[in-house]
Amino acid sequence: MVRQPAAGLGARIVVNGALVISALYFLLPIVWVVIAGTKSPSDLYSSFGLWFSDTPQAIENLGRVFTQDGGIFSVWLLNSLLYAGVGALGATVLAIACGYGFAKYVFRGREFLFSAVLGGVLVPATIVALPLYFLLNPLGITGTAWSVLLPSLVSPFGVYLARIHANASVPDEVIEAARIDGAGDVRIFGSISVRMMMPAAITVFLFQFVAIWNNFLLPLVMLDNQKTFPVTLGLTLWNSQTQRDPLFTQLVITGSAVSVVVLVALMIAVQRFWRADLSAGATKG
Amino acid sequence: MSTRHSILGRVAVVGVASVGLAVALAGCSTGDTGSEGPVEITFQSWVPNIDQAVDAFNESQDDIHVTLETITAGPDGGYAKMLSAVEAGNPADVAQVGYTDLPDFLVAGALEDITSYVSDSEDLFTPWQWQSGVFDGKVYAVPQASGPLVQFYRSDIFEEAGVAYPTTWDEYYEAAKAIRATGSDRYITAFAFNQAPWMVGLAQQGGAKWFDTAGDSWQVDIDGQDTLNVFAFWQKLIDEDLVKVEADFSSEWNADLQNGNIATWISGSWADAILRGTAPDTAGKWSVGAVPQWTAGENASATWGGGSASAVLKGSKHPKEAAEFALYLNSNPDSVSILTSIGAGWPAISDISEIASLQDDPTVFDFYGGQNIWEVAAASDAAVDNSWRFPPLWSTLTSSLTDNVKSAIDSGTSLTDAVAQTQSDMVDAMTQKGISVE
Repeated sequence: MVRQPAAGLGARIVVNGALVISALYFLLPIVWVVIAGTKSPSDLYSSFGLWFSDTPQAIENLGRVFTQDGGIFSVWLLNSLLYAGVGALGATVLAIACGYGFAKYVFRGREFLFSAVLGGVLVPATIVALPLYFLLNPLGITGTAWSVLLPSLVSPFGVYLARIHANASVPDEVIEAARIDGAGDVRIFGSISVRMMMPAAITVFLFQFVAIWNNFLLPLVMLDNQKTFPVTLGLTLWNSQTQRDPLFTQLVITGSAVSVVVLVALMIAVQRFWRADLSAGATKG
Repeated sequence: MSTRHSILGRVAVVGVASVGLAVALAGCSTGDTGSEGPVEITFQSWVPNIDQAVDAFNESQDDIHVTLETITAGPDGGYAKMLSAVEAGNPADVAQVGYTDLPDFLVAGALEDITSYVSDSEDLFTPWQWQSGVFDGKVYAVPQASGPLVQFYRSDIFEEAGVAYPTTWDEYYEAAKAIRATGSDRYITAFAFNQAPWMVGLAQQGGAKWFDTAGDSWQVDIDGQDTLNVFAFWQKLIDEDLVKVEADFSSEWNADLQNGNIATWISGSWADAILRGTAPDTAGKWSVGAVPQWTAGENASATWGGGSASAVLKGSKHPKEAAEFALYLNSNPDSVSILTSIGAGWPAISDISEIASLQDDPTVFDFYGGQNIWEVAAASDAAVDNSWRFPPLWSTLTSSLTDNVKSAIDSGTSLTDAVAQTQSDMVDAMTQKGISVE
């Protein structure tokens, strides 16, 4: 039984209540890690988890995170930004072009190729990490930034999304009108279609950025040198050292808080470009 | 007995060997033989600051140059990475591998036989640590460091309870009662149901020998009488509410260490740093003693999860130089001094008289009321039974043991049943992997 959205007050309370609970469920770990990031190592265990201790030392903790091992944490953050930023940008360009091609051009084997791409959506990134290692190893690029960047440049889900979006938001009439005006296919794609597909592009970028930022197994398999590590791998390295030195626990927690905050800030910054339905009205009148 | 797994292993070895040959041929054709530069080898480890020891080796001679690759710890993905690099024919030359994980590497055909390069140096090492890298008479790894079991205890709480330090487990039981009587929240120790290496260590210290090899097959004896006795003893302590059932390294456990709700901790010698870091306010109140004995007057010890070795990986282009580095790293007194000072663990060499930080270590000793705690660790290390073997599928063993113990605790069934279940789990898992079990 599905309730209609326009149901009465009781239903609204239930729905909103469920939303609040799920928001809390997803937000509490972030709140915890940010609060824990301000505590001294001994307060970490002796004070209440979801509130600040009496002697917060956020600045001191941050100082330790960024100076430990010669400031390696900043290198990890920059690496993550590089891998996620460049990888997501490249993946977005490829996905938009590819999805647009699938949507607007009729060619032999189109549906077969598209099914293959859809198949790619179903294969988890975890599974292809090792085969990729065996593929890239003979090329001699394992251990370099390329070994993480190249596999990050493809996003089957992005292609799928871009095709759907191109179908829905780039009207054939607009393309035909541009052709009549003498524009070539590349020009039409570059100056008209891409702009109409901007919401899809931003979505693909955000998805791919977060996916690369959080990817663990691929850099784990590929990279040998901690100077090339992204922040996920670096924090794991620190975490495996907590057994020898418990002070690393605080570094891992504060470092996690920093990496979460950086990601949230980036997301909010990019979301400003998220404008719905630019093409509304393009074919009216 | 030729099992499926060993056949696969052999195929893998042949594959790796042919890749190695191809690479060797390629090396000849580019003509880099006879060049003057040092031999370049790589070393993968996750020990913090081990670069100091690598630098020291590089400065000590001109023939071999080692490049350190810092990777995530073995169980956190480091081992998977090493094994796939071996399979791809592109391994690091020397790798950090735990004593508990060497059998898995061996079964996967990922270790180079370095007997001819290092066997002369056997005498430098504590026998049980050396044996952890020896399989079927062949040497595959040079031991680096371990965690011999010692008991950390709050001497002030023992004084308050009016009991002497327990030298046997019977005395331990009496001490548990006396300490329990000093405060409603206070226990002699935490029963760390989550910590398989700790429980394995207690069983080993009780005389159990869980694994052994006979020819090509493994013998599994997890539910032998010695083990059952050990677990029955802890069952009694739990039933009488004399120990706190609590996961170690949890927030509550850390808090209990800080506020004295648990008065002892049997752990590896490296735990001194954990105590100092976790409970700095309790400085001066701790002492270290030998693990209580099952038979008065005996001197049985064990380890917390074995230790760590430097293994030469299959497919290394310079196994001789790699073995030379592994040996120097873990036996040269200067190098071992560095390893010890960066917290790599209790050294594998038997003569520690030249390791300065183990002779006098004021910052450590002050925390333990001025006691030379390294004497206790040295005695424990020397008393470890060197016929104890770690098995393949160590991670399966640890998860099976903790799962079974946890469900026994939760459902109120007996720990000895959990041990019996672990025996059958482990035999099943090994058989499934094609490892022959006798």
